[in-house]
Amino acid sequence: MFAYLVRRALQIIPTLFVISVVIYALLALKPGDPIDELRRGNPGFTAADYDRLIKLYGLDKPWYVRYWYWVGRAAQGDFGPSRRFGMPAAQYVFQYRLPNTLLLSGLSLLIAFVIAVPTGMLSALRQHSLFDYGVTFVNFIGVSIPIFWFGIMLMYIFSVQLRLLPAGSLQTPGIEGLWPIIVDRARHLILPVAALSSLQMASWTRFMRSSMLEIINLDYIRTARAKGLPERLVTVRHTMRNAILPIITLVALAIPTVMSGAVLTETVFNWPGMGRAIFDAIVVNDFNVAMVSLMFISLLVLLFNLLADIIYVIVDPRIRYD
Amino acid sequence: MRKITLAVLSLLLLVAMGWADSSFSHQLSARLGPQQNNIVIGANQEPDQLNPWEGSADTKENVTALFNIGLTYFDNEGNLLPGLATEVPSTSNGRVRISGTVEAGNFRQEVDWTLRDNAKWSDGVDITTDDVLFTLEVQQHQLVPVSFRTFSNTIVEIKAKDKKNFTIAYNSPNLFFASPTGRVGLARFYDIAPKHVWEPIFRAAIAAAQAPGADAAAVIQAQFLGAAPGSGTNPNAVVGSGPYKFAEWQRGQFIRGTRRVDFFLAPPGPAQNYVQEVIVRFFVATETLQAAILSGELDASDDIGLAGVDPAVLRGQLGNTANVEVSPSGFIEQLHFSQYVSGRTYGGQAINLPVCQVADDLLLGDPRTRQAIIQAINRETLAPTVFAGAIVSNSFVVRGDVGFNTELNQYPYNLDAAKALLAQLGWTPGPNGVLQRKTADGRTVLFRLPHATTPAGFRVRTQEILQQDLVAVGIAYDPSNQPASVLFSNEFIYGSNCNWQGIIEFASAGGIGEVPADELSGELWADDPRSTAAFDNVGRPENAFAGGNVGGWANSEYDKLHFQALSEFDIDKRAAIIRQMQVIYNTELPSVPLYERVELITAKAGLVNYTKGSAVTRTPFWNAWEWGWTQNGAVQAR
Repeated sequence: MFAYLVRRALQIIPTLFVISVVIYALLALKPGDPIDELRRGNPGFTAADYDRLIKLYGLDKPWYVRYWYWVGRAAQGDFGPSRRFGMPAAQYVFQYRLPNTLLLSGLSLLIAFVIAVPTGMLSALRQHSLFDYGVTFVNFIGVSIPIFWFGIMLMYIFSVQLRLLPAGSLQTPGIEGLWPIIVDRARHLILPVAALSSLQMASWTRFMRSSMLEIINLDYIRTARAKGLPERLVTVRHTMRNAILPIITLVALAIPTVMSGAVLTETVFNWPGMGRAIFDAIVVNDFNVAMVSLMFISLLVLLFNLLADIIYVIVDPRIRYD
Repeated sequence: MRKITLAVLSLLLLVAMGWADSSFSHQLSARLGPQQNNIVIGANQEPDQLNPWEGSADTKENVTALFNIGLTYFDNEGNLLPGLATEVPSTSNGRVRISGTVEAGNFRQEVDWTLRDNAKWSDGVDITTDDVLFTLEVQQHQLVPVSFRTFSNTIVEIKAKDKKNFTIAYNSPNLFFASPTGRVGLARFYDIAPKHVWEPIFRAAIAAAQAPGADAAAVIQAQFLGAAPGSGTNPNAVVGSGPYKFAEWQRGQFIRGTRRVDFFLAPPGPAQNYVQEVIVRFFVATETLQAAILSGELDASDDIGLAGVDPAVLRGQLGNTANVEVSPSGFIEQLHFSQYVSGRTYGGQAINLPVCQVADDLLLGDPRTRQAIIQAINRETLAPTVFAGAIVSNSFVVRGDVGFNTELNQYPYNLDAAKALLAQLGWTPGPNGVLQRKTADGRTVLFRLPHATTPAGFRVRTQEILQQDLVAVGIAYDPSNQPASVLFSNEFIYGSNCNWQGIIEFASAGGIGEVPADELSGELWADDPRSTAAFDNVGRPENAFAGGNVGGWANSEYDKLHFQALSEFDIDKRAAIIRQMQVIYNTELPSVPLYERVELITAKAGLVNYTKGSAVTRTPFWNAWEWGWTQNGAVQAR
């Protein structure tokens, strides 16, 4: 098992290297460069200005030359400066964007998980009941409604009409004191978390329900009941523990996706997270920010895949990698 | 499971308790408006950084006007008024002197400036000519990635007579020496940077950048442009000349400033009657900004965030709680034609520019094709439908500009005229009613007109209307959308690449109030007769895609007038030249001017002096020191 994990961990390094080449090449081959941003709106921009700036930024060299230079610096922890913000790209991503995403996405994920698992379970245990039909109906609405539209509707009802919650943003400017800041953050989180968690919640509830239904009729469950185990133990220890395995895979794979931010939710609710950062960096050709963000997401995907494998072993003793 | 349920319930309880806390609710509402004598403004565009040397000018324009003021500024009617300077230089006050001629090679334009005695930086240090000289030194340094040096490159000398007086000498005519596009020559809307703040940082960064093996661009970005006075990470390091002192910047959220008591321009009456704190909140989506306005979270909104929103609908939603002001934006939405066709001439001489097959086949180089297309588009219906409040344009200059020509052909919607012009060019109805013709080399081509633009909502609606209008004259319409970063990239935007071969849509500046020639026709002129290079302004690979002319239109008579206007200091004579240029444009139609865009700002009832009356004013932040609430004793300033 240990040898397997070490081998998997070591495989991450060459995989990341290949990913970095592909991402760098794609960004470099995309039409446009940082100079376009400086040229736009400046009618006096001349050929001499272009030459001067293209050399200054090193963009006169082929992309693979620039890549080797970038990767050499990145290996030492220097991902270069953000051309837009002046500050180091890594500082911009990890100090100003990632914490906001962790807060919004982490909470959404947690709430979606906490609600989806028991709801899916109950729905399966009471198959064909009014509750089951109700949950199924709500789930289909959840997976069908575009998140952008749902977010705007939430804002329209709770901010514009009822004036109960703020229309987006992270905080109210100028709030002071720990308690007011916590409450202010919580108020700002309610609508985006509701919007973002709705989709995951609906889909995970469906998965949990179908997973439970598969297991609930297996022989070993019948045996457990036959030997006189209380129904609660049968459900929690035998049924749920096995039914939750596919959900663990889904959650493990969802974490890196969620860390990469939710562009639509962040846009509607004016939430400065990773999704907008990556989107904006690509749009305005801020290559270093795009690179550091995308490499971080790639690393997370690889790590959480590994983590999912480890959790399988913990949850299901039948699984062995050696 | 029970523990998790308890945790969720506790969180909900926590929020509910916070809600119920009346003192906190009061604190939230008190952040707004007259109660605290502050103002919360919703804005669409956040500056990347606050340094005066880099960045897109437009995104900085509003916010930087809080913390900085130029030598001059435009008021609400478009008048140029002295800012840091004691008066606006002109020939009549003897501060502008012109000698020699460009042709003789001895042209010299001298401009005298005097800084106000009471002009101080926000940290209390005097603003002096040392700051001016330092600013120009940075602007001209080879390692500083300043976007353009059009005007600073023409400066041959700066003489500082004393701490408050200096003279700038140019070697070619600079009509814009006193306006925001061409003063000392820095990035727009900044004149002068504080030397005592930036100089130590600049010297250290340059030394580091010039060290052996250093990545100069990265060092300059990180150590100079991204230093604390520009990044705002240390509020005390940000020093400006404007009416507010920088206090706080939460990136992606808001920026905050507090009123300066030592600012040299004052509102009418006691300063304490006017807002003491400004908070600008940034919103990415128009819908969110609109929701924040309607929910009462904002006292006012900027001039960019509500683009395309119908003012009548907004007024209906806001009722008497806020005012909605509509003002001209100064931008004209246009469809530029690809002119990369065969057999072109310039001043009677054959010219050799790239040829794009589709543009050539569609005869886009013939003015009759362009005249047919403009008459096939129902612009009177299109303009208000796609951009509420917009008005149809027939020029490259906006209404209200002193050089605007009122006697141009209006090109009303006329299907018969459009069809007749196309028939003259040999187009006949073909399969499915789409026009076709035989080319000189025997091919049969269909009139399929490609249209490229960005996916902004109002442009997508334009495409829907064009689809309906053009099919009525037999033109098959082929729309496509590209993200702005792709559309405006040099690989795409320049028609010489033939990546777009029909029409491309974007907005162009249409006036800054001084009968300008340079800004306005940046997309239209082709060749500078004063330079040895051919077609300087037509972007193509051989000139590294420099210049603003993307369609490739070249007209020698127009170019001659353009450069004549650039050298004409008499405003009336310059206006006459610009009017002649518009006649050529209006006949030749290198682009179809669709409509003049408008801008909306909102201001809560009781907020005074928050206004943007003209396109020239450029920003509602032009007089931030005069903003105030009538409830607190503020009065209309003008």
